[in-house]
Amino acid sequence: MNPKKQFTEGLITNNPVLVQQIGMCATMAITTTLFNGIGMGLSVLIILTCCNVVISAIRKFIPSEIRLAIFVVVIAGFVTIVDMLLQAFVPALSEALGVFIPLIVVNCIIIGRAEAFCQKNTVKDSFFDGIFQGIGYTCVLILMCVIRELLGAGRFGGGLIDVANGFRFTLDGTGAGIQIFPESYGASIMSLPFGGFLTLGFLIAAMQYTLKKSADRKAAKAEQEKEAEK
Amino acid sequence: MLGSIIQISLGAILINNFIFSQFLGCCPFLGCSNKVDTAFGMGLAVVFVMGLASAICWVINEYILVALHLEFLQTLAFILVIAALVQFVEMFLKKMVPSLYSALGIFLPLITTNCAVLGVVLLNVQNNYNFIESLVYGITGGIGFLLAIVLFASVRERVEFAEYPECFRGFSICLVSAALVALAFMGFSGMAIPV
Amino acid sequence: MNNKILRLSLVLFAICAVVAGVLGVINALTAPVIDAQKQAKTAAAFASVLKADRFEQIEFSNPDFPTVQTVHKAEGVGYVVTSVFSGAQGNITLAVGVDNDNRCTGISVIEHSETSGLGANAASTGEVGVNFRAQFVGQDESIALANAGGSIDALTGATITSRAITEAVATSIRAVKSLA
Repeated sequence: MNPKKQFTEGLITNNPVLVQQIGMCATMAITTTLFNGIGMGLSVLIILTCCNVVISAIRKFIPSEIRLAIFVVVIAGFVTIVDMLLQAFVPALSEALGVFIPLIVVNCIIIGRAEAFCQKNTVKDSFFDGIFQGIGYTCVLILMCVIRELLGAGRFGGGLIDVANGFRFTLDGTGAGIQIFPESYGASIMSLPFGGFLTLGFLIAAMQYTLKKSADRKAAKAEQEKEAEK
Repeated sequence: MLGSIIQISLGAILINNFIFSQFLGCCPFLGCSNKVDTAFGMGLAVVFVMGLASAICWVINEYILVALHLEFLQTLAFILVIAALVQFVEMFLKKMVPSLYSALGIFLPLITTNCAVLGVVLLNVQNNYNFIESLVYGITGGIGFLLAIVLFASVRERVEFAEYPECFRGFSICLVSAALVALAFMGFSGMAIPV
Repeated sequence: MNNKILRLSLVLFAICAVVAGVLGVINALTAPVIDAQKQAKTAAAFASVLKADRFEQIEFSNPDFPTVQTVHKAEGVGYVVTSVFSGAQGNITLAVGVDNDNRCTGISVIEHSETSGLGANAASTGEVGVNFRAQFVGQDESIALANAGGSIDALTGATITSRAITEAVATSIRAVKSLA
């Protein structure tokens, strides 16, 4: 399997959120600031990659009757490790994401990839699969955050970019972000649950539109070639 | 005590509805809401498992994990308990209450990965609820889920016949309609509960 | 059949044991760091609500104030009261600074699980959060939300959180008064 194809799959054609439509709870819940989105995305990326590698490494020893239980144990293990590391070294993030960090255990992306991919593929392929699916997930989160934060609070990069003390990145969640228009002009409903559902709905629609357009174009091209052959 | 129970129940069902304000359990919410019947079955199964999981996990947390200072194993222990519980409930219903099993059976395995169940258990710990409060939060959280999924399924049955751009087909239009239902639920957020 | 069940449970048990062992090691490594972080955070919260160099914890166990957790005294400046009470979603831990005239010198949310974008604004570092918390400075125990005849404007869409915090501030001031 070639990594380049896996890359396009993870990012676009088989994107976990926009195409496979899994792992949506956290996608809608925590995407209110860029800090949360990137933090969540990277946590999932790391956990997904580790789980993929471990599960594909031990896939020969896993009796198929209890494979789901074993996947869950491995996933819960990595999630707890990441949870503890975040609490220790990036406490602001662990506070902002709260219960959604331990809830990565039941994020369908991870158990879905374990079931659909890792138990049939080599360690190397699973590693790339984890990285690219994770990047695909992170990109969607970032997109959601940027849209919701801009419309909701008129900001970009809240919690992450500290403008007041010189332009720098912070990890303590205190950066105020770049204010594009005054916060009081923002439609704060975009940072509420309503905004989460709506933004994801429109993103999926946009994805379906693009995929359909490119499929149509391909079909048209194939037809032209057929005509030309005649 | 009664005051706090009423507060927890109203909070879990309306004000902080699991789906519309906390985003817990969105996958089955979107996956099983195309018909009111299936939605109702799924909702009932969730109420059942959430109540049971809250009670059992509270006992395990209090008397095993906290007592032995093993709090760091919470996530692992809870998910295993939930998985085992779901399996057990499935076997029990199959043997003892076949009519209920035929109604809920297909939804039960899906519940293991329903984040509302693990979520409610973790929130019980986070909020330091006692046994009764945990049980109430579990059951009423499930009822909130049931209410949300049944309401939404009836909205969805109508959306089926509506005209909308083709690229919104599937989950997309569902999410947009869910947004509108969430908007309605926001009306509860200012509701005050006298304690 | 029995053999198979035995084998399955052994495999599952072995994997659980390995995972639990790894978690134990990581927990042992991170627990002290997490504790230090929590202490640093509380210290920062104290410093932000009351300008003083030293805070000394004093005995406080008055059954009239069940939400009050700790009271720290800053000699000659005032007190910092921490209390835990329920907000809209879960418990909120709040530090309130009170000066010698029994007026609030500032508040800081130490822990909370309020709705992101609504109640969570009470703790946010953004414009909305800073303005919300600034309203409390200089208030006395008669403090109340604007809709209850007071002067505190509630956070948009988070009346419950705002009211809980306002009440906690009043309780903290009363707790300090009870010391005198």
